[in-house]
Amino acid sequence: MSAKHMFLKPGFVRAPLQNGIGRYVCQLQRIVLKFCKSNGASRGMRDFIEQDLVDFAKVNPGVVVYLKPRRHRGPVVVAEYLNGDRVWMSVHNKTHAEITKWIEVLRTQQGNNASTRLRKYQYTDHPSIQGPWTPFTHKLPELNTAELPNPAFGANNRLPMSATEQLRLMFEAQKLGEKSDDLKTAE
Amino acid sequence: MSAAKRVQQWATFARSWHIFDCKWQDPYESANIIKKYLMGLHKPIYHPMNDCGDVVVAINSRDIALRGDEWRTRAYFHHTGYPGGASWTLAWELHNKDPTMIIKKAVYRAMKGNLQRRHTMQRLFIYPGENVPEDVLQNVTNQIRQIRLVPTRLDQIPEEVTKTYPKVMDYPEDYVLK
Repeated sequence: MSAKHMFLKPGFVRAPLQNGIGRYVCQLQRIVLKFCKSNGASRGMRDFIEQDLVDFAKVNPGVVVYLKPRRHRGPVVVAEYLNGDRVWMSVHNKTHAEITKWIEVLRTQQGNNASTRLRKYQYTDHPSIQGPWTPFTHKLPELNTAELPNPAFGANNRLPMSATEQLRLMFEAQKLGEKSDDLKTAE
Repeated sequence: MSAAKRVQQWATFARSWHIFDCKWQDPYESANIIKKYLMGLHKPIYHPMNDCGDVVVAINSRDIALRGDEWRTRAYFHHTGYPGGASWTLAWELHNKDPTMIIKKAVYRAMKGNLQRRHTMQRLFIYPGENVPEDVLQNVTNQIRQIRLVPTRLDQIPEEVTKTYPKVMDYPEDYVLK
């Protein structure tokens, strides 16, 4: 996350709710093309309006298209979405092909996607199949009934056996002979 | 968030209480262990920005064991802020004044100095002896294992055990025990 992303709204990757499964609801509601009739910066925009705009409006009957000619101002596309988002995009000096692609982007996107900072590039509603960890997973069941503090749970049980203890065990084994299985150790 | 997921969240981030027996333990080694539990470093969900630290109850802090002659050589520094306000207190003096102070300072020093450190320290309870208030003890669900083995003194072992314990050798008849 760099400093220029600090003020973006943080969010996760998400799909619009079931959109496209069964039926598709175009999320773009209104598009306003602002341009100048004489300025060179609006050249691509004027080409788009002359050649493609009628087809665009016919193919997308759910989208309201406005044209707003204005003198000596830069060309701008403003898109408004079903969730209330509004995208303002300058298309200054853009060619006809570029504008066609950008309007396709505006038509197919779900809202103002560029204004969210993605906290992660993946998202899931079910992060764990086994169930998330809790402080009591993999705990000794004996601790549930133990009276704490208890040296049995508090003493270090990873120390190597002492020489004294080893000698004692050897002695016991010698004394017992065959019955060395049920030997009591200090641990 | 559904009701089941909410309860899952509470379970995962539940604060658990641990007890640690300081008897015969080096406070500076123990501090590194206690620190992990206080900050939540022992949990798989640990992240520096989530609040997953646990509570640690340290008992028997009067019976800590310092290495070598550190009781005499280790000094704790304090400055009042006024000219000539510096003072050096030896470890044994500090321990006589407050038996919880050495372990407290050891844990404080073991943690990195940031804004969270003082709040993390609030979750550490230290008691000089075995007596822990009932309302504290009833929360405890886990015991932290000590680092060192607590030695047993010869006079604490019963007479029968000492008598029957196998001997490597016998002293000669004319040997004079001091």
